[in-house]
Amino acid sequence: MLNTEVKAEFIQIVGPGRYLDRPEELACYSYDAFVEEALPDAVIFPQTTAEVSQILKTAGRYKIPVTGRGAGTSVCGAPIPVRHGIVLCFSKMDKIIEVNTRDRYIIVQPGVVNADIQKALLPFGFFYPPDPGSMNSSTIGGNIAQNAGGPRCLKYGVTVDYVLGLEVVLASGEIIRFGSRNIKDATGYKLSALFCGSEGTLGIITEAILKVLPKPEAVKTLMVTFDDLDNTAKAVTDIIGSGILPAAMELMDQLTLNAIEDSANMGLDRNAQGTLLIEIDGVQEACDKEMKKIIEKVRENGAVHIQEAGSENEREKLWTARRSAYGVFAKLAPDIISEDVTVPVSKVPEMVRRIIEITTRYGLRVGVLAHAGDGNMHPMVPADKSNKEEWGRVEKAFAEIFKAAADLDGTLSGEHGIGLAKAAYLPLVMNQATLDFMKKIKHVIDPDGILNPGKFV
Amino acid sequence: MTEKTLQNCGKCGICLNACPVYKLLKEEQASPRAKLQLIKAHDLHTLGSSPFLKDLIHKCLMCGSCSAACPSGIDHYSKFMEMRQKMVEAHGETPAIKSLIYLLAREYRTRFGAGLARTGQKLMPAGLAEKFKLGNIPLKNFPEFNVVPFRKAHDEVISPKGKPLGRVIYFTGCATHYLYGDTGSATIGILRHMGYEVVIPKSQVCCSIPLLFHGAKKQAMKNIRTNVKALADIEAEAVLVDCSTCGEALKNEYPRLFKAGSKHLSDARNISSRVTDILSFMDLHFDLLEFDPAVTENISVTYHAPCHTRNTFQSHFLAEKLLQRLPGVTYHRAPDFDQCCGGGGTFFYEYPEVSKKMVDKKIESAKAMQATHWITDCPVCRMNLAGNMDESDGLRVLHPVTLIYAALKQI
Repeated sequence: MLNTEVKAEFIQIVGPGRYLDRPEELACYSYDAFVEEALPDAVIFPQTTAEVSQILKTAGRYKIPVTGRGAGTSVCGAPIPVRHGIVLCFSKMDKIIEVNTRDRYIIVQPGVVNADIQKALLPFGFFYPPDPGSMNSSTIGGNIAQNAGGPRCLKYGVTVDYVLGLEVVLASGEIIRFGSRNIKDATGYKLSALFCGSEGTLGIITEAILKVLPKPEAVKTLMVTFDDLDNTAKAVTDIIGSGILPAAMELMDQLTLNAIEDSANMGLDRNAQGTLLIEIDGVQEACDKEMKKIIEKVRENGAVHIQEAGSENEREKLWTARRSAYGVFAKLAPDIISEDVTVPVSKVPEMVRRIIEITTRYGLRVGVLAHAGDGNMHPMVPADKSNKEEWGRVEKAFAEIFKAAADLDGTLSGEHGIGLAKAAYLPLVMNQATLDFMKKIKHVIDPDGILNPGKFV
Repeated sequence: MTEKTLQNCGKCGICLNACPVYKLLKEEQASPRAKLQLIKAHDLHTLGSSPFLKDLIHKCLMCGSCSAACPSGIDHYSKFMEMRQKMVEAHGETPAIKSLIYLLAREYRTRFGAGLARTGQKLMPAGLAEKFKLGNIPLKNFPEFNVVPFRKAHDEVISPKGKPLGRVIYFTGCATHYLYGDTGSATIGILRHMGYEVVIPKSQVCCSIPLLFHGAKKQAMKNIRTNVKALADIEAEAVLVDCSTCGEALKNEYPRLFKAGSKHLSDARNISSRVTDILSFMDLHFDLLEFDPAVTENISVTYHAPCHTRNTFQSHFLAEKLLQRLPGVTYHRAPDFDQCCGGGGTFFYEYPEVSKKMVDKKIESAKAMQATHWITDCPVCRMNLAGNMDESDGLRVLHPVTLIYAALKQI
């Protein structure tokens, strides 16, 4: 609990209705979708940039930690207030400020839910490409702070590729604005790239200008099953290698598919060792041509069954299956660890082999799910955190998986971010000088370390 | 794997988008995920019990949309119900809710209460009825109580018109019994028209969902055993409900409440397997309905899908289909037709400020449909939607059976 003097100052800024500190309320802001939990001392809901600035000035004066939060759907622990202090929750700062499809941008407050951006753009025939699994609940502020991805980022790129400009409040309370409404903007440092993936450690995002795209005229979706997981992964490499860039290419192994089928009973092929969900979009004629080529490539790799979605309903059904994978795995054991190591696409078959080898060696179950087209792997391990012995094996296995990814020229995180989950493994992919460089940046902007302390920097 | 480990929340947050209360308030503590966390913290004694904890747990429509959306298959419903009971035991109930439980717990009390209320409605000066509100709803906008309770006004066995096709049981629920006799009459009329013999067991009582929601499990169990006894031994091809919440209780809750191996459990399962909502039944036997096109000519309707209809029977699409198949009727789907109206049993009374925002949004978009009738198959939704409008809004709120019955050819 903050002392009464400090509390009074914060209430002065936002009013009593948007300041919470009863234990029952605090318990609700102690978690995200990661396994750790930590209680804040207070939760504040800002609604304007000016309020955020005042809050940070006050927090800075008393050196109180400030951890930003959107909808709390992060899977790496980024919004967990491990050093307590304030959780700054943006769910009520959720206005769409401007939709401008003529100039191809949208301006939003940080608490706008990703799916609501899509809804606002739909009538104009536009869309915002990054589509994280959490898109129906997660906020754009969190998407930017974590540099979120999603299945269709294979073709379209991730959040950082769509941030044209930001308004950010620094730890000092100063408000900075960079970027512009222009797709081309070579004016100074590309600061948006610094804040995408900063996970709330450098500043608090209060407004964003995002690039949007016209919706492609045609979409084709294909589900292909294989009787060999290795062949499934090789098909991915072959398709990308042939010069086609699908919008999405999702790989699921047998355990994943069966877990989905157990939960949703959708008539998926339980015997398939590997399944690919492939989607292409663009001009109709181009889609037809690419689809032919894709079918040729999967056949060459021993595809057993090829099913094309005949309607929007069928397409939605295939995607629902894919999107529910994380959730259904959660019910196999009290806890679930899902990571997002990423390797160059040509290394996908090898990475799949290594994940299975490592987890099998530690006696763990693993579901391999991947945005395979961009090498973004999602090994999911259901386990029981209260079982110390088992949990020890989980941690060792993931340490080896991270190491394997690094050895294959991969990286720790494709789209979840580092948060609490992977902070210890940064040296696998960065040398000391690079880590120091990040620390220097952090120290200059936030000398007292009040912004999301206890995380990766 | 134990039952317990199967029921673990991965905190993924998919339920946030499914929860009508979270979507309105945008506060984690209102979300289904948070309620599960609070229950866990309470059970592990890391969080003490308090009236405020009770309030957070109760700020829920019990609409079941979280369970329906949950990829981990968590049974929020049972968990919330159990926690509500603990909270009521520890911190009591408000006098109004206590009286409701007292009335619903015994059939004769409910009857007495309804009779009193009816007299009250008659005696209340117009000015007072205008001024006093239950939640947001002015008393003058409440439906009038049935002159005679519905089951009392009807025989226990009603024969079909024409050639008999079969027999069904009709579980009327309290709303039809005391308030919306028109729903009951239309349901019987439709079933007779189809050729069904209708059995309305006299000994049936409140389904007891309101009691379970408010932690009165002991009182509820007495009613539930009475209902199981009343329904189990009658041979009939279906147990029909006109209220999807009663349906939810009979179909999903009753079988969970009895011990393995007991006679009650096998009876409850037998009932559960036969429970059908009237919408699904009409859809299944649509060919038995003969219409008089003149009656419904130029009627335009819009539909509100009740949460329990969506989440228990998934028959909201059937309601739309039925309305579209009525001769001369034009159907307009409101963009938010499947969003909660904020009624939620007693939610509209307990959290009027939250409920009001939800219902006003619904009314605004329904009015934009330019319809004459707003169709909905849940009595609380009906009360809530109608109660928050007045005549100038120009929308009549009805159960689908009333419109469908009116459209039938007289035989």
